[in-house]
Amino acid sequence: MRNRASTARTVLIYGALSALLVLFIGPMLWFFLLAIRPPATAFAIPPVLTFEPTLKAFRHTLVDPGANAAQAWNSLIVSGSAILLNLPFAVPAAYALSRFRTKAGKYVMLWYLGLLMAPPVAFLIPYFILMTRIGLSGTYLSMVLVLQTLTVPFSVWLLKSFIDEVPKELEDAARVDGAAWHVVMVRIVLPLVRPGLIVTSMFAFVFAWNNAAFPLVLSSQSTATLPIGTLGYFATSGVSWSFIAAAAVAAMLPPMAIFLLLDKYVVRGLTFGAIKE
Amino acid sequence: MAGPPPPPKRPAVATWLPYALVAPSVVLLVGLIAYPLVFALRNSFYFWNLQMSPEPMFYVGLANYAMVLESPEFIASISNTILLSVGGTAIEFVLGLAIALLLSNQLKGMNVARAILIMPTTIAPIVAGFLFRYLYDPSGGIAGWLLGSIGLDPPAEGLLGSTRTSLLSIMFADIWQWTPFFAIVLYAGLLSVPQNLVEAARLDGASHWTIFRRIKLPLIMHTALIVILLRFMQLFNTFDLVLVLTRGGPGTSSRTLGYTLYQQGLIDFNIGMASAMTWLIVIMVNAIVGLYVFFAFRNWDW
Repeated sequence: MRNRASTARTVLIYGALSALLVLFIGPMLWFFLLAIRPPATAFAIPPVLTFEPTLKAFRHTLVDPGANAAQAWNSLIVSGSAILLNLPFAVPAAYALSRFRTKAGKYVMLWYLGLLMAPPVAFLIPYFILMTRIGLSGTYLSMVLVLQTLTVPFSVWLLKSFIDEVPKELEDAARVDGAAWHVVMVRIVLPLVRPGLIVTSMFAFVFAWNNAAFPLVLSSQSTATLPIGTLGYFATSGVSWSFIAAAAVAAMLPPMAIFLLLDKYVVRGLTFGAIKE
Repeated sequence: MAGPPPPPKRPAVATWLPYALVAPSVVLLVGLIAYPLVFALRNSFYFWNLQMSPEPMFYVGLANYAMVLESPEFIASISNTILLSVGGTAIEFVLGLAIALLLSNQLKGMNVARAILIMPTTIAPIVAGFLFRYLYDPSGGIAGWLLGSIGLDPPAEGLLGSTRTSLLSIMFADIWQWTPFFAIVLYAGLLSVPQNLVEAARLDGASHWTIFRRIKLPLIMHTALIVILLRFMQLFNTFDLVLVLTRGGPGTSSRTLGYTLYQQGLIDFNIGMASAMTWLIVIMVNAIVGLYVFFAFRNWDW
């Protein structure tokens, strides 16, 4: 009797789970199909599920002429540079905020959290005018710079949560032996938090990669990132849906891959290190 | 009686050291944040249309603020933004919690399901916008067809083209993207609930519901309060989705504060009014976060 009840329960749970996966992953798959289906079937009613798949849209967007490949490259340059520039600012700050607990440090952490919740649009107009005035509008540098308002607070928070886990006693021992603080930080703490550094950098990369607001106003035709380039398809008459889908799928893959790879750290990354799994 | 031995003394660190380590990041961020805020504060007192002049044109006192507060677009944006952020956060939290409870039935394959379930959250909001614009397409989008097939015919103008459904459609896209976020984070919270507490309550004859209400919910409240605030603010700042899906229309039916600000500054180039709006929004955001932190995190141990 009890056995039957628990079997029914198991079936019910798997049923609910399958429904959830259809609901949440279905739309992404449907969008992916858009990229590989003949355009004539894209808006067929009732929806068409059987068709001859084609890679034409991917070829057009990413290879020949491959306008979106250049934009993917731009996205990579901007996000990659953003996380590299972010490290020398974030690493010492995260170390100090983890090791020396002061009231001021608490306020700095709160302020950084506040920045992560600030409305990005509020900064777009001043940045647009400033960058135009100093001649940086349309450059990679302008985007990399303003992205620091997101990557630095994010990395400080996440990295601090990793440094918090390194036992302080290890450092104390070295300090008693007379090692200077910077030796301790570089030789002892950083090697121990290397996984944390990598995880932080990868999530910060996703953060930068997914940002559309800054490139929207700061990029030029030649420095446009992938989402902004994709947005361009809507401006042309006769929206090219299969190209949009192909370019968007290319924009979706790196964050998806990083999240799958860092599965263990996803909760921590999504909550800036505030919650650990 | 001898007390415990004194802890080994470690050499004192120069008191300026922590400040020196944090300073570069603070200086960088103050520079990057102060500029826009000061820029906006100054220009909020000037009439300035960027298409007419590269510099502020003339001093108007508080007129920009008055104009913003009287503009129907701004008023509509406030109510839309509140509806979107309160409704979206509440629905995402409740659905996410339900999914988290489902996931916490440790069955085979759950970990795989969990890793896949988070995928909508990983993609850029603007890309989620592209996706939903396809699903919502008035001529042949699958969302309209699905609604029709269960007897809920979408408006003839399309889901994004009707004043009744435009904001709800944006909210639905956001719920799709961010419910998994709540589910995964709350699931992690549920995992940390001590199993022996749950077992003890069960032996005492407590029902599933009682165990949830009296044990699990209080223990994950801390986690919940953090993610609710994060999500509420992200929703409050919604901009990408609106840009791609509706551009605030039809009429003002789906305007959010973020989108109205964008339009005022970077489409109409009315920098004076946009600057006044920036400050009004910054004040609102700070008030909300401040009140929330004050009430929700009062007893928070750092």
